[in-house]
Amino acid sequence: MKSGPGGAWASFAIIKSSDPSPILLLFLGFMEETQREKYTEKEKISVFNNEFLPHINSMYNFGYRLTLDEDDAKDLVQDTYLKSYRFIESFQKGTNAKAWLFRILKNSFINDYRKKSKEPNKVDYQEVESYYNSDDVDRQITTDLRVESLQDMIGDEISNALNSLDVDFRTVIILCDLEGFKYDEMAKILDIPIGTVRSRLHRARNLLKDKLSVYAKKMGYKNP
Amino acid sequence: MSRPNPFNDSSGKETTCLEMLQAILDGDATEEQQQYFREHMDKCKPCYKSHELNMQIKQLVKSKCCGSHVPPDLVEKIKSQFNSIS
Repeated sequence: MKSGPGGAWASFAIIKSSDPSPILLLFLGFMEETQREKYTEKEKISVFNNEFLPHINSMYNFGYRLTLDEDDAKDLVQDTYLKSYRFIESFQKGTNAKAWLFRILKNSFINDYRKKSKEPNKVDYQEVESYYNSDDVDRQITTDLRVESLQDMIGDEISNALNSLDVDFRTVIILCDLEGFKYDEMAKILDIPIGTVRSRLHRARNLLKDKLSVYAKKMGYKNP
Repeated sequence: MSRPNPFNDSSGKETTCLEMLQAILDGDATEEQQQYFREHMDKCKPCYKSHELNMQIKQLVKSKCCGSHVPPDLVEKIKSQFNSIS
């Protein structure tokens, strides 16, 4: 996704002239779901500067945690902001700008970045979710992690453990624990039912604990 | 007579410790539910220990994984692209 200035505009023009793509359908979806707002040019600039740009730190962190690459995160954030301006009329005044931006970034990641990613798909997500929704897993996942061992994790262990989770599990932890989104907001950002958000978060927390437990053992902590 | 559990829904099904803990961790509990859970932890050691561990992980994730600094040129680049199309 190495688009230069105006890249998003150019790609949108191409999309419009061809069969409906996921990206076009995404934005048509925005327009169907929401009543379109009328903005003057001055209002657009004001919304962009005062409601969208203040979230750039969170957006970049989200982009970085999804791609695990600084350049890709920059491209993703840049692309998201261009799209946010292009489709600003789908943004309803007074609604949650941060959640709207996160949804665009997440969809851009899925539609653009993941397809082009050099990283091979390591796992089939449905397979992973079915596995982690099975009753056996709670019993299998270690519960021997202790608070004392966490207190010594002052380096990159926490960050590495989070980054090592499958991206779908990583995402719900980021949205909930780093950004403080509620179930309904996460459901809209991820296009999944609230029940799935809840179960995915539960599995993600267990997986994270499992990873941290491995680090704790490496650090010499033994099971209680 | 024991206090009714504010986590229980209208179906009358009793909410489990795990379900209460998850609502707390996920930030989905009301003030009343949080108060109930605090009192519950005084009597339930497994809940107390699990809450302590999970909250510590949550706080560590927040403190260790929010440090990605936006590259200084990114905001300027976005603003310059924005100015050229607005």
